[in-house]
Amino acid sequence: MTVFSLVIINKAGGLIYNRTFHEGGLNKISTNDYLVLAGTFHGVHAITARLNPVKSAPERPLSNSIPGVPGGILTRPEPPSGLEVLESENFRLQCFNTLTGVKFLLFTDTTQTNVDVIIRRIYDLYSDYVMKNPFYQLEMPIRCDMFDRKLLSYIREVNNR
Amino acid sequence: MVIYSFYIFDRHTECIYSKTWLPPPPAPGAQPQHDISTSTTGAAVASSDPHHHNPNTLRSSRSAVSAANKASDDAKLIFGTVFSLRNMVRKLGGEDDAFISYRTAQYKLHYYETASNLRFVMLTDTGTLSMRNVMHQIYINLWCEYVVKNPLAPVEHKGGAGVRNELFELGLNQFITGLIGQAGGQR
Repeated sequence: MTVFSLVIINKAGGLIYNRTFHEGGLNKISTNDYLVLAGTFHGVHAITARLNPVKSAPERPLSNSIPGVPGGILTRPEPPSGLEVLESENFRLQCFNTLTGVKFLLFTDTTQTNVDVIIRRIYDLYSDYVMKNPFYQLEMPIRCDMFDRKLLSYIREVNNR
Repeated sequence: MVIYSFYIFDRHTECIYSKTWLPPPPAPGAQPQHDISTSTTGAAVASSDPHHHNPNTLRSSRSAVSAANKASDDAKLIFGTVFSLRNMVRKLGGEDDAFISYRTAQYKLHYYETASNLRFVMLTDTGTLSMRNVMHQIYINLWCEYVVKNPLAPVEHKGGAGVRNELFELGLNQFITGLIGQAGGQR
């Protein structure tokens, strides 16, 4: 069970963070290729949300809920989500899309479990050590020492489990 | 287990076969009335239709046209997606790595590519396990038997020529219904 690397993509599809934790899991690709990968993934993610074959019944809750529904709150169907997990023969990619549109991509080996827990924890670290850093500019590459340190020690703990 | 749709793409990136098992869209009566605006395709269909006074036939024929357009758009989007993801996987995982599937909250897409760059794509619900062997079976038992070994089928299936034959359709339908029946029995 190994976590290979983490990629963070901002809401415009730009690469803002990229770190490899375990050598040999994935091929080494240049930063330029990572930028291309981030942009491609951003586009593919939007398409995968649109490809949803399951159509929710249109307008039904609206017409039913008007008379006699306590509270009268209309239920809105969940918006279609994009790609969440990608599997290949050599690795597994989990994508966590935050409400603000930031994407966390975690590359792990195929047997890694509890990836959603790990990715939430990384989001916590991001909120604590990136978003609360007064010198961090939104949408720009993340260069925060504290975040780096906390992330590395957390992933080391996960990889040694 | 629910199977939504199945696509085959040839090595020229063209969609040569597609089949959906989706429920039909909601009845035309349930649709809002504001879509009776004239459009060129709708008018052409209506004038060739003897019952063109009935707005229902006009609307249903137009929705058939738009459904066909949507299906071909979907096929193109699906090809673009699997093509990008396959290249991404190959770049990260090495040349021998293969893209298997991805899952969203609503559906799961399975991918299988043969050595001759024939690509099989299947959309199912999220709980379905790997369908790779299923698509491999379709390739061996249906594609090779009924399309490749068919002396009348062309080498290149331009526009789906030679794929949509009776035996292939029948075999595929039987195979998929058998699969779903089996899964239902186990549950």
